[in-house]
Amino acid sequence: MTYPDADDPAHPARPSVRPFLQSGLPSAGGYRPTSLGEPPVDESATTLRPFVITSGRTDGADPDIGMETQVTVNHAAVPMRLSPEMRAIVALCGEPLSVAEISARLRLHLGVTRILVGDLRAAGQLDVHVLDNETPDPETIMRVIRGLRAIT
Amino acid sequence: MDFEQSPDHYVGTARVGSGGKPKKAPVPVKIIVAGGFGVGKTTTVGAISEISPLTTEAEMTSESVGIDNPGQATMKTTTTIAMDFGVLTIDQTLKLYIFGTPGQSRFAFMWDDLIKGALGALVVVDTARIDDCYPAVDYFERAGLPFVVGVNTFNGQMNYNLEEVRWALAVRDDVPVLSFDARFRASVRDALLVVLDQALDKAIRARST
Repeated sequence: MTYPDADDPAHPARPSVRPFLQSGLPSAGGYRPTSLGEPPVDESATTLRPFVITSGRTDGADPDIGMETQVTVNHAAVPMRLSPEMRAIVALCGEPLSVAEISARLRLHLGVTRILVGDLRAAGQLDVHVLDNETPDPETIMRVIRGLRAIT
Repeated sequence: MDFEQSPDHYVGTARVGSGGKPKKAPVPVKIIVAGGFGVGKTTTVGAISEISPLTTEAEMTSESVGIDNPGQATMKTTTTIAMDFGVLTIDQTLKLYIFGTPGQSRFAFMWDDLIKGALGALVVVDTARIDDCYPAVDYFERAGLPFVVGVNTFNGQMNYNLEEVRWALAVRDDVPVLSFDARFRASVRDALLVVLDQALDKAIRARST
């Protein structure tokens, strides 16, 4: 079996190969960086810029808080003054909800959501359900397989 | 029926502290759906999700060096990307999240967060633009995450057959390369089942060592 030269840009008769497999310059459809232009500007002028909501923090989200991490209200929490964004998060979490869903429903940036959820956890307002084992065990995977097979 | 639950006072308000027992939170598991722009990631997520796909915005830091800008200093750019995701409730205590993530950046640090604890990934490929999926394949190989290459047959059409796609990607022999149709639930389900098979293999191997 012979294949045409994948580096020949004039006749890419075959799908190009991954860049590290190519010799010479990445000419034949290898990886090209996407536009390095300006990042998209948020056009909604009515909303606050994210760093205002997080009191200036842009980093430092708890690594335990993943996108799928489940969050619930701590019903025993002492009432306290909360920012509108935090109140909105607490209001949503009567039922267990993932961080990603909170972010999507409140149209809050994911990074901002993670920082605020971490703050609310530290303040005792939210329970963040961190998993004991990070890697899924075979039994859980089998349950997902059975559950998926059952859908039509 | 749930007799222990107190009535839910919390919908639409932020009142806290009136007692009551919160519902036990389900265990979340996740599968990543990766691929270039417009290959059908959102269609894939929407086909299997029980809710219409939600969108969250996240920061992505990408670094382009060497091959991309020969002779130039390292350039770091931060862009906000939109990520679509869906949910499938397996049972009361188990929820499957499916995250669709763009794969156009070669060094996508955000993926480290994304794949933490993930079962595996489905790399969606459009045969008209195969090179769009290289970063995702590179990344998952390096990260050791089980993945499956799924060629999306938009109109039952493929410019290359599966063997040619495998050749172009040069993935290991044990990485499945399959075709599926992102528009159909059963087709997406079958593709995800192959991902889960890979995940199960890895989990069993990890346990026996």
